[in-house]
Order: sequence, then structure tokens, then C-alpha cells
Amino acid sequence: MTNEAGRRAEMSFAKRYNLFFWFRHAALLGWASMIMFPIFWMISTSFKDSGDWLAWPPNWFPSFLGGGYEPTLDNYRLIFSLFGQGDRVNRDVLEHVFTIWGAVRDSMVISSISALLALLLGTFLAYSISRFNVGGKYFRYMILTIRMVPPIIIAIPVVMYYAILIPFATQTVLGYRISMIDSYSGLCLLYMATTLPFVIWMMLNFIEEIPKTIEHAAHIMGAGRIYTLRRVVMPLVAPGMVVTFLFIFILNWSEFLLALTLTQPKVVTLPILLNKFQSAVEGRLYGPQAAIGTVITIPVVILGVLIQKHLVTGFSFGTIRK
Amino acid sequence: MAQATIKERKSLSAWLSQEKVFRLIPFIMVEATFLLLLAIPFMLTIYISLLKWRANRPFEQAYFHGLLNYVRVLTTEDFWWALGRTFYFAGTAVFFELVIGFLLAMLAYKQFRGRRIYITIFLIPMMVVPVVGGYNFSMIYIDSGPLNQILAPITEAMGVNPRIRWLSHPIAAQWAIIIADVWQWTSLTFLIFLSGFTALPQQLTNAARVLGASRWQIFWKVHLPLLKPAIMIAVIIRSMEALKLFDLSVLLTFGGPGTSTETIAFFLWRQVWQFNKYSFGAAASIILLFIFGALIFYGIYLLVRERSIVEEESMR
Repeated sequence: MTNEAGRRAEMSFAKRYNLFFWFRHAALLGWASMIMFPIFWMISTSFKDSGDWLAWPPNWFPSFLGGGYEPTLDNYRLIFSLFGQGDRVNRDVLEHVFTIWGAVRDSMVISSISALLALLLGTFLAYSISRFNVGGKYFRYMILTIRMVPPIIIAIPVVMYYAILIPFATQTVLGYRISMIDSYSGLCLLYMATTLPFVIWMMLNFIEEIPKTIEHAAHIMGAGRIYTLRRVVMPLVAPGMVVTFLFIFILNWSEFLLALTLTQPKVVTLPILLNKFQSAVEGRLYGPQAAIGTVITIPVVILGVLIQKHLVTGFSFGTIRK
Repeated sequence: MAQATIKERKSLSAWLSQEKVFRLIPFIMVEATFLLLLAIPFMLTIYISLLKWRANRPFEQAYFHGLLNYVRVLTTEDFWWALGRTFYFAGTAVFFELVIGFLLAMLAYKQFRGRRIYITIFLIPMMVVPVVGGYNFSMIYIDSGPLNQILAPITEAMGVNPRIRWLSHPIAAQWAIIIADVWQWTSLTFLIFLSGFTALPQQLTNAARVLGASRWQIFWKVHLPLLKPAIMIAVIIRSMEALKLFDLSVLLTFGGPGTSTETIAFFLWRQVWQFNKYSFGAAASIILLFIFGALIFYGIYLLVRERSIVEEESMR
């Protein structure tokens, strides 16, 4: 008993009151609330009516939580309406028809097709880099340059290429002009090229985890290279391929600059659609914009949480592994 | 007949299975993609940068102009200002991201209750679409927005009008962009440092403690040198990404007020897509390719070095 009391007395003030525990939780909670604040504000704005968007002082909570605004679904009704007709929205606003279905379709098609193409090409290249050292020791690093170049430097040449050279070439060879500006194929190919470094690096990580002895064993038992690749390697890296696909999908889904410069008005991806609300007749339409933001963000955050263990590997080009 | 096709298929797969063919197929395909999609456009760009051409007249009427576009880009003051501003934004934002990310990782790397929840929450900004993030901040910064209300007690105590215009004062607008960038990308530096901290070998810490080192000494003399690769990787990757800054200046301020938030990407975008100065943009992008190329090669050189250090350590 005396021993216990003695130890108590010896303990420092900080230890006795568990100061570090409270400090850690206060700091982490503070940062967490700062992080969540913009997202909270977006979601609450998406349920506000047009009068509450710019109210001063701002209304924080809906009326059923004792706050100042009546929650409404009008913004969601506007962006999801099939014919672009909201009930209580001004006519001027409706001159621009802001439904998101077209943009959802474009974004889904472009992101998934380009992610698939990049995945196929990148996986095979990663395999041959890992097993045969194709392209030399530094090839895997050189491929990173494509990702590190600012996209505007890529966008200007590619726009000229799509707008001048490809129509000219197809005119002389095929006899009719094909323009790749404002088309699915143009954006898909470019996304594929710019996300290849990510695919190669992530897949290199997954492939190098497979011991070479398995392939040797298959080889000795008489399996050909292609058979080994299909039946031995593929099943082992399949989970890695799924993760990589999701990661690339997220990247393509949120890409802005290349989509802004290479598409419109026919092909409109979701980030571009969101940006378009800026130039509406009535000034900024905060409510529908917030609704679109919420709708875009939710699937990506869910996917991201699913692959959160691999996000660090992806963003750091596989230099950091968990 | 059937036998012939089988034989053919066999010989095809045999041909494919030869090592020198098999290893080169994906390589050639990827290289062809890069050649067709990136190398040829760049050659075209070099050609166009030598012409005098604005997009308001057809391409056929462009005429040869020598190196005048390059001279014009290099003597444009706004070009250099935009470049300098980009480095300023990137440097400041990356500095804050590193410091905050490091402190958070230090607090969160040991096991305690609720750790996983914190980590998951800290990850979220990285996954939010950058356009949505920028747009959220533009909503927070409006003069009757929530930020001004949070700051209202302070501003009223100082006797200032609480409705501060965040986005129309040059310096406030620059900080608005930096804060939005820090909000989004601190999660990445946090994650990198977190995996660095969790990979710290426990024996070394214990050994240092047995030898009588204080906490402070353990941190500076043992942990920090071991974390150096992670810090370098975070610096390289974040600064390369931060130099691309474009979305935020479009969404928050559209380069304004004046040109105080124009980054280099925004400057070029405006020259080409708003003023239609195509050959000017071509020359500028070639010049930038050289500037950024040098930086990127240096960055990759550092990455290769740090990576080999990391691998050596994991071999031990």
C-alpha cells in the first residue's frame, strides 16, 4: 500500500493526469474537424434552398436539429431530373440544362475504359520489366517523367495534334476527316498514357511479391510462357489488378485539366460539369453545385476507403510500401 | 486441315514464347503508345512554335516566323511572374503539408483506441475530387460564408468589418489557395510519414533507451535519420504535384484579383484557350518542358537514391 502511494507520488504531473492522452486526442480531433468541415458544409448546402445559400449569418443546422434552414431536396431534384425541369427553380436557370446523367455516363465510360486499357498494357509491361529487365535498369524510373510533367505541357501539344495532324492524316490516308477532339477515344487514349506510370509501378510491387520459383516450377513441369502467365501469374496478381484498377479509376474520375482542354461541348465529364455552374446566368448556383459535388464525391470516397491500404503505394509510385 | 491449324497455332505460341519476342511485346506496345500520343505531338509543337499562327485564322495561312515566339515568351514579364508564383505556392504549401503531416503522424503512429478511425478520416481529403475540394473552399471563403462567421468574434473585437473578402485581396487570395491545397494533400504526407514511423525498428529505440538516451535525443539522433528517405520521398512527390497547380486557381479566383493567383498552368491555359495564341503557347510549353524536365530528372535521381537506401535497409 505504501509502495503504491510512493509510486503515485513519484509520477510526474503530466503522467498522473494523463496529459499526453488528452493532448493527442485534442490535436487529432482538431485536425479531423478541420478536415471534415468543408465536406460538412458542402453536404449542408446541398440541402439548402436558394435563399439560404448566401444568408448572413450563415445557417449551420437544419430546422429539425434546431438550426435555421428548412432542408429541401430541390437541388437533387434539379440535377437528377430526366428532362432538366425542376419545379420551383427560376426559368433563367433552366436555360442551361443541368442534369448530370450525360456527364455521369461520359465519366463512367471514359474512366473505366481508359483504366482497363492502362491496366492491360501496364501489367504486361510490369511483368516483363520485373522478369526480363526490359528497357534497362532505369527504365522504370524514366517512365515516371510522364507523370511528373505538368499536364498543361502535355495538353497543348496534344490538342494541336488532335486538331491539326490527325484530321490531316486521316484526310490524306482514308479520305475523310476524323477529329479526336471532343470524343471518347481522344480522352481515353490520353488518360491511358498519363496513368500508365502509376499502373506499372503499382503492378511492379504486386508482381515482385510473387516468388520466381513458382514460375520456374511451372516451367519445369512443361508449361509454356503464355500458359504460365495466364494460369499461374494472373490468379496471383488478380487482387492487385483490382486495386490498381480502382486507383486509376479514381484518378481518371477526378481529372480536370485534360478534360477541360480536350472535350466540351459534346463530351462533358463530371468535374467539367461542376465547373460549368460557375458561369450560369444567375451567378453561382451554390445549391445544385453542392449537390453535384456530393454525388461525385461519395462513390470515390467509398472506393478509396476500400483500397486505403494501397493508396500510399499508389500515390508514392510504390516507393513507400506497407 | 484441322491438324494444320493446330500446328500453326502451336508454332505461333512457340514463336510468342521465345524469350526475346515475349519480353519485347509489351515494351514495344507501350513505347508505340508513347511515340504516337506524346512524341509526335511534341514534334508538331516544335514545328508550330516556329510559325506565326493564331487560332482565329486557318492553319494554312500560318507563316514561318523563326525563333520570334521563343523570344516573345522569354521577354513576357507575366510568364516569369507566373512561374515564380507557381514555385512560391508549391514551396509554401509543401512546407505546411510536411510539417502538419509529420506532427500528425508522430501523434498517430502508436496503437491507441480510435487510431483506425482517425486514419480513415485523415485519408478522406486525398480522395475528394480536386474540383469538388476547390469548389467547397470557394463556398467557405465567400464574404457571408462560414469562415467569416467563425472569425467574427475576433474581427469584431478588433473593430473590423467581419465580412472579409477572402478572394478579392491579392495576398488573402494567395493564402486561400495555399490553404485549400494544404487541406487536400496533407493526408498524403501524413500517410507517407505514418508508414515511415510504423516501419521504425523497435530494437534501435530500445537500445538507445538502454544506453541512456533521452526522448529528445532518440528522436533527433535515431528516428529522424531513419525517416530521412520517407521525408525525401514526400518532398519530391508533393512538390512535383504541387507545381501542377491549376484547378484551384480556376475555381477559387480565376487567376484574380489582377494576376495575383495565376499559376504557370493557368497562364498558359489562358494564353491558348482564351486569347488563341497557339504558337505562343507552343513555344512556352517547349520552354517549360526544358525547365521542368531538368527538375524532374533531378527529382527522379533523388528518388532512385532514396529507394536504394530503403532497399538496403530492408535487406539488413
